[in-house]
Formats: sequence, C-alpha cells, structure tokens
Amino acid sequence: MAMNDDAAFWSILAYLISGLVFWGGAGALADHFLSTHFLLIIGLILGMGSSFWLIWLRFLKS
Amino acid sequence: MHTLLSQANSGFVPPSSADFDFAPIFGNSILFTKPVLLVFFSVILAGSFFTLSARKAAIVPSKLQFAGESIYTFIRNELGRDVIGPEFMRFVPFLFSLFVFILTNNIFGVVPLLQFPTMSHIGFPIGITIFSYVTYHYVAIKKHGLKKYVTDICFMPGIPKPVYLILTPVELLTYLVTRPLTLSMRLFANMFAGHLLLLVFTLGGEYLLTSGLILKFLSLFSFSFAIGLSFFELGIQALQAYIFTLLTALYIAGALADEH
Amino acid sequence: MTGTLAIVGFGLSTIGPGTATGLIFAAYISGVARQPEARSILQPIAFLGFALAEALALFGLVLAFVLK
Repeated sequence: MAMNDDAAFWSILAYLISGLVFWGGAGALADHFLSTHFLLIIGLILGMGSSFWLIWLRFLKS
Repeated sequence: MHTLLSQANSGFVPPSSADFDFAPIFGNSILFTKPVLLVFFSVILAGSFFTLSARKAAIVPSKLQFAGESIYTFIRNELGRDVIGPEFMRFVPFLFSLFVFILTNNIFGVVPLLQFPTMSHIGFPIGITIFSYVTYHYVAIKKHGLKKYVTDICFMPGIPKPVYLILTPVELLTYLVTRPLTLSMRLFANMFAGHLLLLVFTLGGEYLLTSGLILKFLSLFSFSFAIGLSFFELGIQALQAYIFTLLTALYIAGALADEH
Repeated sequence: MTGTLAIVGFGLSTIGPGTATGLIFAAYISGVARQPEARSILQPIAFLGFALAEALALFGLVLAFVLK
C-alpha cells in the first residue's frame, strides 16, 4: 500500500500517541486506584507495542 | 540616566500566554474580541477579493483575475485532482474556502497594525477541524455504509481474535480523537509559537532601548532579527495553511478509497 | 524562575529522535531521487525507522507529564 508520504507520516504519529495515551492512561488510573507503581510502565510498554502492531498492519505488511 | 537605570532594574517581563488575551471591544462581552473581529474582517476581505477578481471574467485576464485564478487553479489541480482522484470536483469549493480562510487569518500575524494570527487561539483551529472531521467521516459512511465502515476501522484482518481487545481501543481513539487533534494542534502550535517568537524579539528590543547606551545599540540587532523572522513566519503561515488543506484532502481521499 | 526540570529533560530527549528522523528522511529522499521506482520498497523501511525513532520522543513527552 503505497500511501501518500504526508498522510502516512501523520497517521503513524497519531497511532503512536493514541497507543501511549490509552494504555498508559489505563495504567496510570490502575496505579491510582490500586496504589501501586509498576502498572503505568507496563501500560506504556503495552500501548507502544499495540501502536507498533497497528502500524505494521496498516503500512508495512503488504 | 538614573531613571533609565532604575527602569532597567525593574527587570524584563518575558511574553507569556497572557499576551494572547484581549480586552472585549463592546462593553463586557467576551464574545467579541480582537480575534473575532479579525475573523469577520478576513471573511469580508477574501470574499470581496474573489468577487472582484471573478466579476469581469475575460479571456485575456487582468492582473486581479490572474491572481484569483492562479490560487483557484493551484487548489483544484494540486490538492483536488492529484490527491482525491476522479470525484474531486465535489470537494474543490470546500478545500478552496478552507485554504483561503486559513491563509488570510494566518497572514494577519505579520500584517502591520493587525499583527495577530487568529489561529493562535485554539478555538479557531478546532472549529475548522470539526468541518473537515464531519466531512471525511460523512463521505466514508455514505460511500461504504455505516456497518462496513465501523467494522473496517475496528477489526483489522489477519490477527488472532483476543488481540482485538488490545488493538481496537487504540484504533478507535486514533480515528475519532487523535487524527483530528493532531490536525488542529499543528496549526495552533505553529501560529502560537511563531507569534510568541516575534513578541520575544520585539519586546526584548523595546526593553533594551530603555537600558544603558551600549544596550541601545544591541536593540538594533533584536529589531532586525524580529523583521527577518517576520518573513520566515510568512513562509510558515502559508505552509501551514497548505498542509492543513492537503491533509484534509488526503483524509477525504482515504475515505473514498475502497480499502482502509 | 518557576517550572519543573522534567520539561528540560523532555527538551533534551527530543534532540536524539529529531536528529534520527532527519537522517532517516534524508536517506529516504535521496534514495527515491536516485531511483524513483524503488519508492514502494523504501517507504515501509523509512516509516518503520521513523516510528521507532519517534517512539522515544513520545516516551519522553509522556514521562515529562507523568513524573512530577
């Protein structure tokens, strides 16, 4: 899928931000209510992983 | 000299986001301030310019007609035909008014006496982003049907089923929030930072003028830097208007495309 | 002066990814300029590199907000 470079650039940035915000935010909320400290980091890594997976599926697979 | 030194001791107050708040023009109503006035002025300015340039359409164009037509041709060919494809003519009026509106409002940032880019207030970029957001989602839903569109976004083919639990929220957040947010934030942040940069150098030069004799000469550098940066800002303002319109056209093209 | 040191840390952490993104796209542009038909091969590689480099900058941004 040879997408236009500008669209691909900003879509990739949007994917990275939303993955971090969603799962990092979920981790931070869980930390807040369970009063732990490690869930935020796990959430950030999970979010980054899911962003990379989606980018791979959308832009790199074919 | 003593008064000047005492003024210098009072310290330089750097510009902040408080410099972007304006007093109301009529009475106490915060609904009508300088940015709102500039928006109305830009609409009148752009409307009268293109009405005048298209009124006496001739085969051998006058200078005014040539200017208006070259902007229109640029949007129609570069952003409409080359990006959207065969159905581009429906979207050319929207793209054209979007480009002209953003360009006029951005260039107000370096026009003497006006000197405020309207888009450096976050409300205005969000407002115009809502237009393009509604447009590209509406186009996609009308083309593919609501059910297929939502399924296309939420469920990517070719991954095991439990992974959807992790990936679908991220995908939904990207399509519904992050992509329009980056669209408006980029325009806002560029205009905000550019105006703040110009403020730093002009206010700094003004402050140096009130200081000692040697610093007065240094204020020359600050002012000339501000003038040079104004031309740099002019380039950025035109570029941001172009990028906003280009990305709107690209999202419409993506909505019209068969697969996502 | 007021403010948090985390913002300075974020500013420092953008230097590396900024340089990396510049290098990646410079290589991509010169590659496409020399051989335009190689664009479809080069584009995924360039954007994978961009995503990996940009991830570090976004980690810096998030941690600047989170760590108080």
